[in-house]
Amino acid sequence: MTPENLLHYPFPSQKCTLGCPILDRCLNGGIPCNSITEIFAESGSGKTQLCLQLSLCAQLPVSLGGLSASALYFHTEFSFPFRRLHQLSHCFQSLYSQAVIDEANCSSNYNNYNPCDNIYVQSVHSADQLLDIMPKIESFLVNSKTHFPVRLIVIDSVAALFRSEFDNTSSDLRRRSLLFFKISGKLKELAKRFNLAVVVTNQVVDFVGSGEGVNGVRIGNLASLYSSGRRVCPALGLAWASCVNSRLFLARDENGMVDGDEGSSPCGQTKRRLHVVFAPHLPYSSCELVIKREGVFGVDR
Amino acid sequence: MKKTPVFYRDLKNSDSEALESLNVPSRISRFDNGEGSQTIIHGAQNAWDMLQEESSLTRITTSCADLDNILGGGITCKEVTEIGGVPGIGKTQMGIQLAVNVQIPSYCGGLGGKAIYIDTEGSFMVERALQVAEACIEDMSEYSRFLHKDLQAFQVGMQSKDILENIYYFRVCSYTEQIALINYLDKFITEHRDVKVVIIDSITFHFRQDFDDLALRTRVLSGMALKLMKVAKTFSLAVVLLNQVTTKHTEGSFQLGLALGDSWSHSCTNRIILYWNGNERYAYIDKSPSLRSASAPYSVTSRGIRNSASNFKRAKMM
Repeated sequence: MTPENLLHYPFPSQKCTLGCPILDRCLNGGIPCNSITEIFAESGSGKTQLCLQLSLCAQLPVSLGGLSASALYFHTEFSFPFRRLHQLSHCFQSLYSQAVIDEANCSSNYNNYNPCDNIYVQSVHSADQLLDIMPKIESFLVNSKTHFPVRLIVIDSVAALFRSEFDNTSSDLRRRSLLFFKISGKLKELAKRFNLAVVVTNQVVDFVGSGEGVNGVRIGNLASLYSSGRRVCPALGLAWASCVNSRLFLARDENGMVDGDEGSSPCGQTKRRLHVVFAPHLPYSSCELVIKREGVFGVDR
Repeated sequence: MKKTPVFYRDLKNSDSEALESLNVPSRISRFDNGEGSQTIIHGAQNAWDMLQEESSLTRITTSCADLDNILGGGITCKEVTEIGGVPGIGKTQMGIQLAVNVQIPSYCGGLGGKAIYIDTEGSFMVERALQVAEACIEDMSEYSRFLHKDLQAFQVGMQSKDILENIYYFRVCSYTEQIALINYLDKFITEHRDVKVVIIDSITFHFRQDFDDLALRTRVLSGMALKLMKVAKTFSLAVVLLNQVTTKHTEGSFQLGLALGDSWSHSCTNRIILYWNGNERYAYIDKSPSLRSASAPYSVTSRGIRNSASNFKRAKMM
């Protein structure tokens, strides 16, 4: 065993752009590779939007903040939003098509470029199933003859895998947290071996009680989290929180006009904000964002 | 020493002189153990010697004066210190800070050692280590300017590049790798004597995945703890173990505690718990044979671990 020389590490560690300079600035470049980033929010806040956009942006050349890579997308709830992906990919294509083709051109003719070709979608229905297909994922990462190597794994959402099967008994909770650590351990191993960026999304549960956090345990930079005027906290509890490297929170507020100056706040739009809850490389920061037809964008003010 | 008798025989010295010369090494060894001690068994120490030794123990500063105060100057060498807390409280930050601070040279009051960083979770970020290293160098040149009023001499002393190079970084992806690495530490440090701190971030992660047999886990963990204590003693270096927290279900209520169970809590000499108090981060000495239990606020800044900001304001007002 020999130690790794930190000077040979890519510096700063490679990140995958979110496709918006304002959001990237908030996260110091984007989603880091060799790390698990969790985005949690209530439904309809834009988690999936952000993940879809990220999967497209991973294809961008490194010079534009991407990874020149394809993405592996696991969806666990509902059906995969193909229509929305197509919509986003059209906008993406009109913006970046040339850049991606230029980058890829040296190896082959890449004339009929379709960004959707580089996003591999798989549905997963239970935590055990996810664990079972881990060896398949590994062999896919090793053997895939894809034009771009896979450098991004998205699991949207990890909470759905765990929410139905487990009771609130201590033996079930123990079994559940064992699975958390197994899944996270395997994902981190893959992330390290292939220098992947791993993004998982998580749901929220309503916060019941008083004080800080569940059972008085506060996690991260914010003492209390609010979304749609309700106090919330991320699902899956403390054990899962120990399994991710960074945690981001997407808050949503219906009354977008409350404290905004007149005219500056887009009328009728929900106010959304991305918060860094914890991350080993980032201080607390937050950023307002909007979801448009063309994608998710940060708002500078 | 083997050659001494031969040497004296060749010179045809008297027996008494030879005897005298043989006494020299034993006198030297007695001097090593402090004045007036009688070492009967090799390696045995009496309490007085240990007290002497303890007062001369070297410590690694945490860069937070309040925390250093309650720790008696910082994290002690020759001992195993466990630091636990909830995700996002700053365990990894503390780890990175110590890996940088152990390298502060002796002319700035440091150890001038190197660090081993064992990353089991993948939370170590090079860009963050560089930030902390740069701030540390700035503080050192500030300090030496204050001490020596001599700008030129220390401008070239150290670079953040060197600091990164002096952190031996191991990333382990399974518990077998972790156990193998800890068994290998002895050999590695023998070859790298200047290592003064071993940080494991975190000791827990891989041991919460695959162990259905909890009795086996306990045995493996205590074996690991013993090895780490031995490494700390033999090479007089500090071992810092970062640990996660879990909720324990006892008598119908949930209680927060460090992971890995009760038997593990005997494995460390010192234990520090990091927690939130309102909007401030606090460190609490939960267990220590020599320190009073006390708590101190600290903060995680862009420059690393520092005194709590509100405390700083208070100090400024006075």
